[in-house]
Amino acid sequence: MADKVPITLTVNGTKHSVHVEPRTLLVQFLREHLSLTGTHVGCDTSQCGACTVHLDGMAVKSCTMFAVQADGSSVTTIEGIGEIGHLHPLQQGFWEMHGLQCGFCTPGMIMSAADLLQHNAKPSEAEIRHALEGNFCRCTGYHNIVRAVQHASGQIQNQAQAADD
Amino acid sequence: MAEKMFGKALKRVEDPRFITGTGNYTDDIAVHGMVHAAMVRSPYPHAKIKSIDSSAALALPGVIAILTGKDLVGAGINPIPTGWLLPDLKISAHHAIQPEEVNHVGDIVAAIIAETRAIAEDAVALVDVDYDVLESVSLGSTALAAGAVQVHPEAPGNLAFDWTIGDAAATDAEFAKADKIVKLELRNHRLVPNAIEPRASLAEYKRAGDEYTLHTTSQNPHIHRVMIGAFVMGIPEHKLRIVSPDVGGGFGSKIFQYPEEVIVLFAAKKVNRPVKWTARRSESFVSDAHGRDHETVAEAAVMNDGTLLALRVNTIANLGAYLTTFAPAVPTYLYGTLLNGTYKWKAIHAHVRGVYTNTVGVDAYRGAGRPEATYVVERIVSTVARELGMDPVDIRRKNFIQPSEFPYQTPVALQYDSGNYEPAMDMALEKLGYKALRAKQAEMRKQGKYIGIGVCTYLEACGLAPSALVGSLGAQAGQWESALVRVAATGVVEVLTGSHSHGQGHETAFAQVVADELQVPVEHVVLVHGDTARLPHGWGSYGSRSAPVGLSAITMACRKITDKAKKIAAHLLEASVEDMEHVDGKYQVKGVPERSKSFFEVALMAHLAHNYPADLEPGLEATHFYDPKNFVYPFGTHLAVVEVDADTGRTKLIRYVCVDDCGPIVNPLIVEGQVHGGVAQGMGQALLENTVYDASGQLVSGSYLEYTMPRADDMVQLEIGHTVTPSPHNPLGLKGIGEAGTIASTAAVANAVIDALEPFGVRHMDMPFTSEKVWQVIHASQLAQAADD
Amino acid sequence: MQLEGFNIIHATPEQVFVALQSPDMLAKCVPGVKKLEVESEGVFKTTLEVSVGPVKGSFSGKVSVLDAVLNTSLTLKVEMRAPVGIASAIGKIILEPQDAATKVHWSGEPQLGGMIASVGARLIGGVAKAQADIFFTKLEQELTSKA
Repeated sequence: MADKVPITLTVNGTKHSVHVEPRTLLVQFLREHLSLTGTHVGCDTSQCGACTVHLDGMAVKSCTMFAVQADGSSVTTIEGIGEIGHLHPLQQGFWEMHGLQCGFCTPGMIMSAADLLQHNAKPSEAEIRHALEGNFCRCTGYHNIVRAVQHASGQIQNQAQAADD
Repeated sequence: MAEKMFGKALKRVEDPRFITGTGNYTDDIAVHGMVHAAMVRSPYPHAKIKSIDSSAALALPGVIAILTGKDLVGAGINPIPTGWLLPDLKISAHHAIQPEEVNHVGDIVAAIIAETRAIAEDAVALVDVDYDVLESVSLGSTALAAGAVQVHPEAPGNLAFDWTIGDAAATDAEFAKADKIVKLELRNHRLVPNAIEPRASLAEYKRAGDEYTLHTTSQNPHIHRVMIGAFVMGIPEHKLRIVSPDVGGGFGSKIFQYPEEVIVLFAAKKVNRPVKWTARRSESFVSDAHGRDHETVAEAAVMNDGTLLALRVNTIANLGAYLTTFAPAVPTYLYGTLLNGTYKWKAIHAHVRGVYTNTVGVDAYRGAGRPEATYVVERIVSTVARELGMDPVDIRRKNFIQPSEFPYQTPVALQYDSGNYEPAMDMALEKLGYKALRAKQAEMRKQGKYIGIGVCTYLEACGLAPSALVGSLGAQAGQWESALVRVAATGVVEVLTGSHSHGQGHETAFAQVVADELQVPVEHVVLVHGDTARLPHGWGSYGSRSAPVGLSAITMACRKITDKAKKIAAHLLEASVEDMEHVDGKYQVKGVPERSKSFFEVALMAHLAHNYPADLEPGLEATHFYDPKNFVYPFGTHLAVVEVDADTGRTKLIRYVCVDDCGPIVNPLIVEGQVHGGVAQGMGQALLENTVYDASGQLVSGSYLEYTMPRADDMVQLEIGHTVTPSPHNPLGLKGIGEAGTIASTAAVANAVIDALEPFGVRHMDMPFTSEKVWQVIHASQLAQAADD
Repeated sequence: MQLEGFNIIHATPEQVFVALQSPDMLAKCVPGVKKLEVESEGVFKTTLEVSVGPVKGSFSGKVSVLDAVLNTSLTLKVEMRAPVGIASAIGKIILEPQDAATKVHWSGEPQLGGMIASVGARLIGGVAKAQADIFFTKLEQELTSKA
């Protein structure tokens, strides 16, 4: 077992300076060291996307990088994008449109979709489906996930509109 | 009057925790002192274990214990039984850890218990297992052939069972009368269920009291308790608590009692620490029960006018290496009995041989037997139509069982109690614009563009099940369901159900029904499920049974609550019970609204109860054990439209219309969600998913790199409709909807692809319709065409 | 899957024949080799780090030299095990003199088992070819730098 190495990273706005085994995956760090269990692990080949988080504002699969690679970075997880009473438009959209069933893929879906909406506030259905290709859902057939993202996109535009007015 | 909740598209009450990442799945749970298990799995499909040297692994710092099959057998741990027996069923012992022989890649030969998961997995590499490698067999028909490799000595010729249903002589007689016989050879290939949450188990043992608690990913914690407690480990029920918290999808694969659950329980006592195991996805592929895997020859006897006379079906069902919990029932009673479909066959005979192979066990996967049956029936009916030059819609309309003919006794045991097939089909055709699309299809073909329209008019039997019936057919347990409705002094209604939600939204839909029954606000209803320590015995969720069976039990318990509440109100109002009525959430003297008690007052007084008459019991709770009288029979029409690119073979779903009849709908959001997901899984089988064992018995599609899961851009927005034909025998008329989408869509999409390929002379080809396969047949046809020219 | 190929080495068949059975040379040239020792005449015990697609593992086992025909051909039997599965192969090597060099023909059929088969089977052809190229390139470097 290799010696633990020190890392410092900010997760959901809180700075953590810790020592980790070099082989600790970022997802493992989030789940086991910080008890942020909203980020899930659904596969071991970087296909399912259940572990998607934001690293310095970009969606990454947290099973595909080591915690040490996130040293100095800022990580946002599903727990950090909104909470009951102050839901992110995507969280609201998934709830309104029944965009989830078992809920296991949901955090990763929301984080991937959030990345999409940051870059493309008004995506077409095809763009949404394309952007979510890296996330598996076995329950919803993606039907209501697409509608949830469309709902959130509408919300964000309304908010932007309201801010402009 | 309180707003009626039944039928309302209420947002789900379970969602806030899931959208904020605060759900509680088994792997999310960490307890003090917890250690981790990792499994040493066989890399060979079939081998004798000569020796196991675990000294190097044990020497690794952090390794606590290593368990082998001999340790478990020596400690009196029994093999894991199957839950369904057929006459003359040949059973080979399925040990949690194999002591002598491994029978599929992934079979467990040892388990490591270590301080961390990483150390446990490191130690797996250090266990030196010496195998004597044996020949293996992975395809059902190969296993049945003369001289095939023998998987288990208990099952000569690898035959686990030989089962028939229907009248062979009557079927032969109809075949003798037929104008035409249409034959199809069909492969319903093997699938891996792939719930996105991998299986996980966490066992805790308390020396004081000799008590075990197992948190596990289960669709039915009580089945686990019965199997582990009574059969495998001999733990009395009150000392074994099974908790199934939030579960990330099941689709059948989390019904079964798996080896790892036994291993962590055994280990927790042995090392006296909590032990957790969570599957890596690569382990899921070689250890979660698989689905389907049939090889079938089907023949239909028909008249030239399209009248369907008789069906003869011969199926080889690959069961894998061991019989898992429901395995024997799936290709028999859940398959053979469904071969009638929605039609008036005069006779049907089915012969099914269940076969052992050196592969992962095959059991119920969403639909369980019924998708396989529907695939046979709907493929052959469409093929008959094509060979008679009929429209696939017309042949169905001609042969449908008519509404006046219910109850309808089929030639394969089931008695359908209700149905009305044409309105559902007509609604679907209308939504699709069927006639216009057929014209467009013909036009497109002239331009070298190929679309196909697939029709499937399915029926399923679900809501498992009348206990006496399934018991007579070999089930080792009844399939009734329990409900306990408990009203607290503050008026909160706690509903304890044996049904288990792993994505189906019971916390919402069940609360809607309870709110209506008791006339209380829906937010005052709290559902409790998934914990054997809190619930009366129940049987869990599978076979689309939660609404028709579980919710019926809850409804009946609520009615008992209302009866009791009337008594309490009558006492409080000094009126007679016969004069009480339940109106607008109040218990009042008939026609005298001023003389009434609210639900809250009744609930409070039920608990304070200091001035009750002798014949009135304090408290306000009721239990009901509901055993259905029959299955329920949902049905519907699914229409798939696919487009085939003749240059590349790429086959894509472009439209999907479905009209389902699942009876009255409690929550349309949830029902439609079930249809969406079901259709995606059935479409996945038809176009994408496949489980491949190579010639040496290795699973070569064991990751998401090789196993093609449906992704967002493989699906289209579905066009959905409903008709409502209530079940005549349960209190709310409910029928199941969890599996319908999967049952119907595989056949609908397959029929669409074959329809698209008609210009290339394709009469049948096996799923999945990958680009390569489709291109091959198009290319072959084009070459033949060129040679003719 | 039957694999075959050839590599040209700028050394004589005699040199190549010796090198292919030299534990020192193999230890230097076999990609990912962590340990290689002689167990008995023509039998090497070895540990290799191999990655096939997403699966990486430390394989340990035996390589045996069979049917050696002096300066002409030999057969290698490989039996390796790793936590990620098993790998075995019978590889045939034929040495053909070509001017001052040697054309080394190689062929074989790798068999994979366990996780490495379920995840990496379709990649094995490419991996084996790449490993062979690395091996023979290094072998040439070793032989020509000595010369």
